[in-house]
Amino acid sequence: MPVELKLPVYLRRARWKVKIQEKESREPPHVSILRGTDKWRLNLRTGALMDRRPTPSDIPRELLDLIKGNWRWLCEQWDAKYPDNPVEGSEE
Amino acid sequence: MTTKTATSRTFLLSKRRHSVRWFAPLQPEHVSSIQRVHEVVAQANNHSLWISDEKPLTDTLLHALASRTGSWGTMVLLYQPALASIPVLSRHFHRVVFGSGKGLLPPAELAEVLAAPNKADLFIGGMVDADSKTLTLWRGDLATLTVPFTAFPPSGDGITPDFSAFAVSDCGHTIRLGAYEAATEALLYEYDPLYRRRIARERRKEERSFGAALRRLRKQRGVRRADFGSLSAKTIARIEQGKVDPDHLRPSTLGIIAKRLAVEPSDIKTY
Repeated sequence: MPVELKLPVYLRRARWKVKIQEKESREPPHVSILRGTDKWRLNLRTGALMDRRPTPSDIPRELLDLIKGNWRWLCEQWDAKYPDNPVEGSEE
Repeated sequence: MTTKTATSRTFLLSKRRHSVRWFAPLQPEHVSSIQRVHEVVAQANNHSLWISDEKPLTDTLLHALASRTGSWGTMVLLYQPALASIPVLSRHFHRVVFGSGKGLLPPAELAEVLAAPNKADLFIGGMVDADSKTLTLWRGDLATLTVPFTAFPPSGDGITPDFSAFAVSDCGHTIRLGAYEAATEALLYEYDPLYRRRIARERRKEERSFGAALRRLRKQRGVRRADFGSLSAKTIARIEQGKVDPDHLRPSTLGIIAKRLAVEPSDIKTY
C-alpha cells in the first residue's frame, strides 16, 4: 500500500496528494506531490525539489509546511519501503 | 487546454449528455446521430481524435470509412469492442485504445490527460495478460508500453502486486495493482529508451549549474563536504544543490572552496 500523507479537506478538494509509491527503489528517497496531471518529487535527503517542471511555486506553502511537519514520519515510511536505499544513505 | 485547429479535431460519438461535460477540455465536436457521423467524416483527417461510448455510432463510422483508405487518426472506445471489430479499427485508425471500468481512467480524468501537454508521459489505461505475464499500458498519446509482471517487485514493507486488481489512477501518474502502486515515470524510465534519453538530456542540462560543477570537482579531488575548514558541510551541500545563488557567494567563501580544491575560483564552473 502506498504511503499517503493525510491532508486537510481544502487541500484534498484542490486535488493535492502526497505519496510514497512502490517501485521507486532506483530513485533518491523522495515523496511525490500530485495534483491532476502535474507531479513534483521532493528529495527526502536534501529537501530540494528534484524537477524544475512543473513550476515549484505552484505548490501551496501550507502543503510544504505540512510535509516538513511530517518529515521524520515520511523518512521512516520511505526506509520501511526501501530498506536498501535509506534516507540516511550518503548523498556524497 | 488544447488549441482546436483544423488539423487536430476531436470527435465525441455519444448520446450521453454527461459525456459532453466530461470531455469539454478537448472541445470536441459532439456527434450524437447516425446522420451526423456521415457529416463529420468529411471533416476528419489523420490527426483527428475520436472518442466513442456508443457502439452503434462507432459501427456507423466504420461502415462509412469502409470504402476509404488511409488513417483517420486515433480512436478511444469507452467500451470493450467485439474481437471482430479490432482489425477493422486497426485498419482505419493508427492507434486504438479501448476498455471499460478500471481498464481506463475515469472519463473526466481521461479527458484531462488527453488535453495535457505531458500526455505522452501519463497512462490512460491498460490490459493485463495473465498468460504472457505482461501488462500493456496505454499512454495519453495512445502509444503503448508493454512491461513484464517482473517489473513490479515487492516493496520492502511486504506489499506485492495483485494483477487481477489493475487500475490506472491519479490522472495517469499511478498504476494500481491492488494495494501496490507503481509510479508511471518509474515504468517509463525503465522500459522506454526514448523517455530515458529525454530525461537524461534534461538532467544534463541541469547539471551545467555551478553547484553541479562544484560537486563534480569535489568528487574528482576526493574531498568530502566536511573538509572545507570554516565552511560547514551543510553550506557546501546548499551550494551544490543550487540553493545558494553562486553570484551571491562571498569572495572569501569562494576563495576557501577554490583553495581546498586547488583551482582558481573562476575555474570551478568549468568542471
